[in-house]
Amino acid sequence: MRPTKLIFSRLPVLTIGILSLTFGNAIANGQSDDPLAQPAENTAASVQPQISEFETMALTARAFRLAAKRIQPSLVSIESFGGVSAKQGRIGGIRKQGEGNTTGVVVSSDGYILTSTFNFIRQASVVTVTTFDGEKRVAKILGRDDTRKICLLKIDDVTDLAVPTIKPVNQVQVGQWAVSLGVGYGDQTPAISMGIISAKNRIGGRAIQTDANISPANYGGPLVDIQGRLIGICVPMNPQSQAVSAGVEWYDSGIGFAVPVEKFKELIAQLKDGQRILPAFLGVQSIARSDGGGMTIIRVVPESAADKAGLSEKDILLSIDDKPVNDMLRLRQVLNRFHAGQKISIKFETASKSGLDGGQEPDQKLNDKKTVTVQLGSPPTKEKPSDSLEPPKIR
Amino acid sequence: MKLNCISMLASIVWAIAILPLDLTAQTNAGAATKPAVSTFVQSMIEKAQPAMVKVIGASAGRVQGATTGFLVSHDGLVVTSQGVYLDGKRVQVILANGSKHEASILKRDRQRQLALLKIEAETPNYFELAERPVVQQGDWIVAICNAFKVADKDEPISATLGIVSLQTNIEAKLSKRDYAYFGELLLIDAITSNPGAAGGAVLSVDGKLAGMVGKIINSSETNTRLNYAVPAEVLHRFVFDKPTGEPTAEGPGETGVEQSSTAKKSPGELGILIFRLGGKNGPAYVDRVKRGSVAAKAKLKTDDLIVSIDGEKIGNIKDYDAAVKNIVAGEEVLVIYKRGRKLVRTRLIPSSKGK
Repeated sequence: MRPTKLIFSRLPVLTIGILSLTFGNAIANGQSDDPLAQPAENTAASVQPQISEFETMALTARAFRLAAKRIQPSLVSIESFGGVSAKQGRIGGIRKQGEGNTTGVVVSSDGYILTSTFNFIRQASVVTVTTFDGEKRVAKILGRDDTRKICLLKIDDVTDLAVPTIKPVNQVQVGQWAVSLGVGYGDQTPAISMGIISAKNRIGGRAIQTDANISPANYGGPLVDIQGRLIGICVPMNPQSQAVSAGVEWYDSGIGFAVPVEKFKELIAQLKDGQRILPAFLGVQSIARSDGGGMTIIRVVPESAADKAGLSEKDILLSIDDKPVNDMLRLRQVLNRFHAGQKISIKFETASKSGLDGGQEPDQKLNDKKTVTVQLGSPPTKEKPSDSLEPPKIR
Repeated sequence: MKLNCISMLASIVWAIAILPLDLTAQTNAGAATKPAVSTFVQSMIEKAQPAMVKVIGASAGRVQGATTGFLVSHDGLVVTSQGVYLDGKRVQVILANGSKHEASILKRDRQRQLALLKIEAETPNYFELAERPVVQQGDWIVAICNAFKVADKDEPISATLGIVSLQTNIEAKLSKRDYAYFGELLLIDAITSNPGAAGGAVLSVDGKLAGMVGKIINSSETNTRLNYAVPAEVLHRFVFDKPTGEPTAEGPGETGVEQSSTAKKSPGELGILIFRLGGKNGPAYVDRVKRGSVAAKAKLKTDDLIVSIDGEKIGNIKDYDAAVKNIVAGEEVLVIYKRGRKLVRTRLIPSSKGK
């Protein structure tokens, strides 16, 4: 009895072993078809050169190099002069920024360059940009988008900078190869690291997540697909915080973000004028209602968008731009999709006047629903935000 | 088709090999049902394991007394990373089979933080040290290193997959007072900058030794930890070159030998006075140019910003002071300065100081 049983139990192992290996070969050969159909030698259609797994890896490695080579003419190396020393201040145990060059990506042939605001944390008084041809020029810092942590630079006297091919966001697929590049290690040749697209629509739909290493070595640099097409600009990000350096603590961790540039044509036009795009601020403090029907407002910040919309304490916030808000997380998610200055419609239920008077019976017909369109403001800051990244001249 | 047949055959052999293992048959079946895309890397790692060792020695404070190493000869030469674990009374090496051996330290390179150990053991499992670079940018690599001392005794050492990010010469430092690494290295995107990983093997996917996982260091360029390997050819020089006249020789003050020659020459002067009220971290704006000086002849003016001297970036006044110290009278320097929104390049021949 026992020996037969054993043989039976081993048989599947044998077949599975063979099957899985054949399947493996099929994948290595780039054939996604039924692996069992593969041994049919006489089918002319399936005549493909056999590629070993080693060769497949060698080909991928070559593809990484080619992708880097394609984007390289659009990379610039940014140098900062003066400003706060790198040794001053730490963020979560990580010193703010190194002393080396940082990366930017050319977005127009006449000298507009996108990079990460992180690269100017030290508020350098002078910034130079070295283009692919080795020419170094003084750059001007124009507008910035604080919600995407990118900013626009401009260099003059250039006409034919290489603009990268853009990979449209809707064609980016989770799981596809991604290569990040940056000149942060002090060499003109960018360092490359590879990974996959981990997720789309992160950070209020602004960022694409990747497990390719993203770090101060490539903030401001590009994330490209395996054909060297630009997916986005690498930036430090953290969904919990909008601070310029938030997200740096996740460097090289497999959690990295890049903001796609495709949708930004009008945004770039805005930044060209030196505008600063700030995160949206509604100005309510609220708690989720136990029945899930909206959120009860407990405080309204004076002069905020909520105040202007006529929201007041005890009102119930129902939806923003027809998207229902039932808890804090959802509210943040919805708001994150906007930036300061944009108009939103707020639907809310007003608390009855009689209810506020106290002593009296709360009015039964609470359901006075209102929809108001209001322009979003920016979060109040303790100190006045400086208008540009360029600090006041020392002299 | 021929290749495919061979691999089919190989898979049958492999499956048969599983047969005699009664108890483990089920777990092996579990492993075999996964798509075997990575069998190639898998077998490569398996082949590499017998040449990997665990190095155990003294610990100091929070620095753990263990790291990784690998065999480079049949008679027990082990390459590992220099560290506190080598400073105790005894250093032990654990081979892949779990056997423990007393090790003697043959040599160290404090600049590159390398060490060569010797154990009394004969083994057919070791890595050949290549004299030329094994990998290039973009190539897949596997780093085998015992980060956080996850593996103990005869347990196989952890492997991580990545690619070569950049081959470069880099300047890095752990902290102000610690050592700096100067020289060729391979930056990799596999995460290896963790305690215990130093001395690990970085392999190309065809199983060749491409380098050794380096110690945890920070890049001064990015202020981030570097994941890097000391390239195989550097290891080759370290292991096989005679120590005579090499800066790799042991002893205090062996670094910076090449810089001593400048001391004999008389220091030079450009005649630039820098605006210093902005502090040491302020940019190096020209405050005044001495009349009749080299700088004056080159038409440097007040408010010009010195951006670079002799290829060295002048990011702030500290950089400027450091660069000016190295200026030698009579030896031409290239100065780049910013005037308005233009960068101007000029070559100056410094006069000797005090003139």
